Amino acid sequence: MIRPTIQLTAVVLGTLLASCSTAEEAASEAAQPAETASLTISLTGIETPSGTIRIGLFAGQEDYEGGPGLTGAAVPVEGETASVTLEGLAPGAYGIKLFHDVNDNGEMDTNPFGMPVEPYAFSNNAPAHFGPAKWDAASFELSVGENTQDIQIGG
Amino acid sequence: MNMTRRSLIAALGAGAGAATLAGHGLAAVPGMPDWQVGYANAPAEGFAPRAMDLVSGRLPDGFEGTFYRNGPAWFRYGAETTGHWFDGDGMVQRIALGGGGAVHSGQFVATTKHRMEQAAQRFMAPGFGTAGDESYPVASADDVNAANTSVLMVDGRLHALWEAGSAIELNPETLETLGIRTWRDDLKGMPFLAHPKVEPDGTIWNLAVNGPYVGIYKIRPAGGVERFDMVNLGAAPYIHDWAITARHLILIVQPWLVDRFVPPIVNALEWRPEEGLKLLIIDKDDMSKRRWAEVDGHAFFHTGAAWEDASGAVHVDIALYPEPYMGPGGGTNLMEGRYLPSEDEAGGVLSRIIVEADGRARIESTGIGGEFPVVHPGFHGLGRRLTALVGGHTPDRPGARRVSLMDWQSGEASHFDYGAGRMAEEHLFVAKPGGRGERDAWLVGTVLNIASGRSEVHVLDVADISAGPVASFAARYAWPLGFHGTFAPA
Repeated sequence: MIRPTIQLTAVVLGTLLASCSTAEEAASEAAQPAETASLTISLTGIETPSGTIRIGLFAGQEDYEGGPGLTGAAVPVEGETASVTLEGLAPGAYGIKLFHDVNDNGEMDTNPFGMPVEPYAFSNNAPAHFGPAKWDAASFELSVGENTQDIQIGG
Repeated sequence: MNMTRRSLIAALGAGAGAATLAGHGLAAVPGMPDWQVGYANAPAEGFAPRAMDLVSGRLPDGFEGTFYRNGPAWFRYGAETTGHWFDGDGMVQRIALGGGGAVHSGQFVATTKHRMEQAAQRFMAPGFGTAGDESYPVASADDVNAANTSVLMVDGRLHALWEAGSAIELNPETLETLGIRTWRDDLKGMPFLAHPKVEPDGTIWNLAVNGPYVGIYKIRPAGGVERFDMVNLGAAPYIHDWAITARHLILIVQPWLVDRFVPPIVNALEWRPEEGLKLLIIDKDDMSKRRWAEVDGHAFFHTGAAWEDASGAVHVDIALYPEPYMGPGGGTNLMEGRYLPSEDEAGGVLSRIIVEADGRARIESTGIGGEFPVVHPGFHGLGRRLTALVGGHTPDRPGARRVSLMDWQSGEASHFDYGAGRMAEEHLFVAKPGGRGERDAWLVGTVLNIASGRSEVHVLDVADISAGPVASFAARYAWPLGFHGTFAPA
């Protein structure tokens, strides 16, 4: 009985998750500052052992809430877990949006009302709430050196 | 015979006593009126299978099958009350009938909402009449799915239905929740209305409603999706039910419209009767063939069924209200033990909307008050004479007390009154084995005996419902009132 709110969710979630693909393509070999951070993203709970997990890393709140994303990764899926490490990042606040492109068509598939039909997740395992997880829940700080995000993508 | 049956029913009501209630089933809320037991929490662990007592008559030979019903069954955490009757967590009641006996069991549907709220012991999810807690994560409609409205059996698989979320599959024997039913991978998470329409051959039609956008499922008897189409109604009405005929789908746009997108949804519905009650009639075989018809503005929850005659006129049985019922006040009052006829009066009247082949439409009222119109499943969408419903309301409390059977051909109705101490629920047609006609059937329905605090199941013969039940069973406890059910023949 909450049809209208779900409609809103579909629009927002669909639009913003689509930027995962964009961010992935925007990855570049930028000049690395002397003091950089690395981020290892460990993915668990993968239900279908095929396809690709497409990850978008967003630098700061503005980027997370509508920007193109800083960088990204496409991680081939072969089992229940997967991981990737992003290197040469500047310390600061980030957020992650990702989805499991189960059929490898390069898009997050949606049902006729625009709701995702492929699994998705956010950094900190922050829950979606009438759209993507809120920045306050999904944001995390990268420090100089090694950092990790453990994200459950299943169910 | 007639008096004997009535006397037995009266004796059952007077005899069992309120003590029964204390030991079993529902937790009655102190200070509440007796009828409020119909809106009391069911046991969180459910009802284990338990034989019901045969209290009058005998189960007819050949009456074999399982009667499933669904309804809200959790309303309170401590002093906190859910915002609306429609937001209570769904519990499926199962009554196995056969071999002369009846065995009842019941289980909550293990929805995300139910699991999270039970763990926290408080209400959190937004809903029809509940604003919800900001902290409750809502990624999709199924996070707030109450699974509390109806049940559907498809090829031996049982589903609990809600109107804005997915069907949830249950084990038909144990009622254990198995998970969300995805009818086709690309339709994952699409809503599945709680009023699917099942043709006599088992083909299922149903709607997925999202504002003005309505998806139409056609599902084969074995469960596969044959087709899925979309229509845009151009308006976002409250859609709880609809209708089909042998040749057409009939979407009904009542002038109770959503005008903003914030829960609780009941507050977002605006009543605009001047816009009329509109019917969109769609050709099943060519969905581009559509026509609109309009009658005076009325509200409704339920149709019985529809059919078309030789002239091409479409007839829709429907319980019509002069204005919305169970709106902002209605479902909340019931939760709090208040019955205010000005807000809660069930003014539904069994009516028929007739749309002539040339598009002219009119309403014919039977004058029979009631709700939950139902037809014989073997005649759904086809020409037929009979519609059953429950009505006959008692002034000082909600709920129906009478079952009625309208014969459209003769224009006559017959009734059976369960009496002032009972609340009667939807009654379903069950075809007699080998029976071919509409009257070769029984009605089976549940009744809450508020005097004794026991839930009952009654079987009436469609050939003469005024004679009263041919068999009546009572549980040794009560379970909450529900909405809709289905009967699965053995």
